[in-house]
Amino acid sequence: MPLLGFIFRRVLQTIPTIAFILVVTFILVRLLPGDPASAMLGDRAIDADVQRINAKLGLDQPIPVQFLYFTKAVFTGDLGNSIGLKLPVIELIERRLPVTLMLTGMAALIALLVAVPLSFVAALNRGGAPDAIIRGTFQIGLSMPVFYVGLVLLTVFAAKLRWFPVGGYGQNFLDDLYHLFLPATTLALSLSAVLMRNLRAAIIGVVGADYVDFARAKGLRARVIMTRHVLRNALISTVTLFGLSIGTLLGGAVITETVFAIPGAGRLMIEAIYGRDYPVIQGLTIALALLVSFTFLLTDIVQAWLDPRVVR
Amino acid sequence: MNTLVKAALSAALLVGTSYSALAVERGGTLKYGRYADSLFLDPVLNDANVDIWVLSNLYDTLILPTDDGKGLKPGLATEWKVSGDGLTVTLTLRDGIKFSDGSPITPADVQWSLKRAADPKKGIWNFLVGSIQDVTTEGDHTVIIKLKNTDPAILASLTVFNTAILPMKAFEASEGTTDEEKAKSFSAHPISSGPFVLQSWDHGQSMKLTRNENYWAKGEDGKPLPYLDGIDFEVIPDDATRILKLQSGEIDGAEFIPYARVDELKQADGIDMKLYPSTRVEYITMNVRPKIGDKDNPLSNEKVRQAMNYATNKEAIIQVVTHGVGSQMTSFMSSATPLHKGDKPLYPYDLDKAKQLMKDAGFENGFETSLLVLAGNQDEIGIATAVQQMWGQIGIKLDLQQVDNPSRTQQYRDGTFTMREAAWTDDIADPNEIASYFVYSPTIGALHSGWKSDEADKLFEASQKEIDAAKRADQYAKMQDLYNASGPILPLYETPYPVALSKKVQGFVQIPLGNNIFGAAWLQK
Repeated sequence: MPLLGFIFRRVLQTIPTIAFILVVTFILVRLLPGDPASAMLGDRAIDADVQRINAKLGLDQPIPVQFLYFTKAVFTGDLGNSIGLKLPVIELIERRLPVTLMLTGMAALIALLVAVPLSFVAALNRGGAPDAIIRGTFQIGLSMPVFYVGLVLLTVFAAKLRWFPVGGYGQNFLDDLYHLFLPATTLALSLSAVLMRNLRAAIIGVVGADYVDFARAKGLRARVIMTRHVLRNALISTVTLFGLSIGTLLGGAVITETVFAIPGAGRLMIEAIYGRDYPVIQGLTIALALLVSFTFLLTDIVQAWLDPRVVR
Repeated sequence: MNTLVKAALSAALLVGTSYSALAVERGGTLKYGRYADSLFLDPVLNDANVDIWVLSNLYDTLILPTDDGKGLKPGLATEWKVSGDGLTVTLTLRDGIKFSDGSPITPADVQWSLKRAADPKKGIWNFLVGSIQDVTTEGDHTVIIKLKNTDPAILASLTVFNTAILPMKAFEASEGTTDEEKAKSFSAHPISSGPFVLQSWDHGQSMKLTRNENYWAKGEDGKPLPYLDGIDFEVIPDDATRILKLQSGEIDGAEFIPYARVDELKQADGIDMKLYPSTRVEYITMNVRPKIGDKDNPLSNEKVRQAMNYATNKEAIIQVVTHGVGSQMTSFMSSATPLHKGDKPLYPYDLDKAKQLMKDAGFENGFETSLLVLAGNQDEIGIATAVQQMWGQIGIKLDLQQVDNPSRTQQYRDGTFTMREAAWTDDIADPNEIASYFVYSPTIGALHSGWKSDEADKLFEASQKEIDAAKRADQYAKMQDLYNASGPILPLYETPYPVALSKKVQGFVQIPLGNNIFGAAWLQK
């Protein structure tokens, strides 16, 4: 029961966070130099056209007035229309965000599948050859920029070996998975390196702890010691790190989506910023903020489950 | 101008000049990689090249541009005649033309489409047909355009995307109350007058076009165009990925190949690296106001601008930035623009002359100034670092300011920028568009530079009504001399459009105005 109260408190805390992000985003995009009409019409725009379009978008009103209209619209579930694409923002988010979610979800899964077993191997062979090889390989992975890794993977596995398509997105779920494998791997690389290093250090710390020695002295089997005592305790800090990394992963998706020609939310955000497409920037920010808040909430819950002291 | 232009050209002309001796093959879908998606496919209300450059595949105009972008050939109209006083244009529509839904294309559709294009309240392109006063119809085939004043560019403007013909009834019956709302719902399921029809559009990812079964033009084999069953446009923003996709055979064509990759792709197996002649010019715009903010502006001195021009080694920039693909400019307008004048590169590199001009201007010790550079744009950064070093030799200390496009546009429009890099492409086979932006101060203050020449303004105004071709050419010659000598730009280079195609692709052309013409494209099996 204390867990439910904990979740309730955490959800309440999320509300002011989202509201704050909303206000800041709303003001910040308007403080950026340039306006949607100029960005849309480009260098050739004549003053009359720019004024006409900005007025039609309500951008000739004072910012507080614009904010009131915006808040009212948000509470009625209306995020407005994209200025450049002339489509409802909700529709754009519905179409683009799942793509990014699938990409980051797949990347997170790949990162975990790679990092957890390898960190065990490295930790239990501390100082030995497997440890050195694993840590060395990941060090290289960590230090290579995402766009470079992406292009190398594309060149080798898609263009040369033809195992995967060169970017793009699929037509159905399985096809999507096939298309997203290389980009998700690209994205997973640096995250798995971070997770692996953290988990390895945590395992080394836990393995030497008294309660593990005690468990061993009790005559428990090695597998039980590893899963119930070592992994559970070592995971606590890694779960926090993993949760925090989701934001970074979403950031990395922007570059990955561009390199791999994936029509996701990251690319939409970049295009919206360059186009000063205020409604899209605002809408996407709300969606992403909700998503990240939800991930943090989930992280806290998992952490509370792993370490009940957190709830108290 | 008052002669009857009997257009006896057969539809075979459409096939264009880029044809090989191979017999055409029908069928297949051409997959084409674009750097960005279209935004809004309405001929009148669009505002970007990503729309303009594909619109002609969906909507036909009365007259079509030739593949060299300079001439006219029959489109939905087979004949046109300009009256002796130059104030009336009479056009005869082709027999049996139909929209993609099978309904006939009538003079009423043409009348409505042209009036919509010329409406000053609609879109940003109406100035191209600003001379149209009224459009009337006569019988089943005749459309009469009444002009407010003589307009030497009226026929060329009838080839431009914004005068494309749409079905009036279907458009007006579309959902919405305003013209823009109707355009939105119509363009989601448009009815075409061009060679292709929009089949589906996944914004930001792909757009699929299928052949318009009712298209009027005939191919080399005597059957209706287009040869292709359809076109799949795929949006692939990253240059390297777009090229990889072409190399792996996943797409048949890729636009905007970076200049650095052109040579490599020329050697590549199975790839036809095309460099289509274009009207694209790259230049630096200078703010010539005596003061910017409260600071004195040396760029207001004509001699300083000339010195900077002479101190710029354009050939070196062409080698470094365009890898030799570009060529030096001989006028502010491209050599593919009608009435272009000039056969020698402007301001050949001459450091001594540049130093002397700086001395004459009273800036022997140079000065500090700045240049806006589009952040992340390799070409612009390349140019900027080159001129920074070149101008250093005449004592100019250049501060490079990297900004994103909307920030730059704001400084540009406010007239608070000092210098910026820019590129231009014509939309019409006439010099009046570029001249109105670059030279004629009432449009946007000569590229927002603050430059103004009463003589140039008068020449432009006269040329807009001059229907004697020789006199108009003379006016343009004078305008170019004047602007090239004292204008607010530093011409850098002209470049072709680099497009990489699979060797299977035949008959595709990107004309100098940028339009991608797929009407006569075909795939070799």
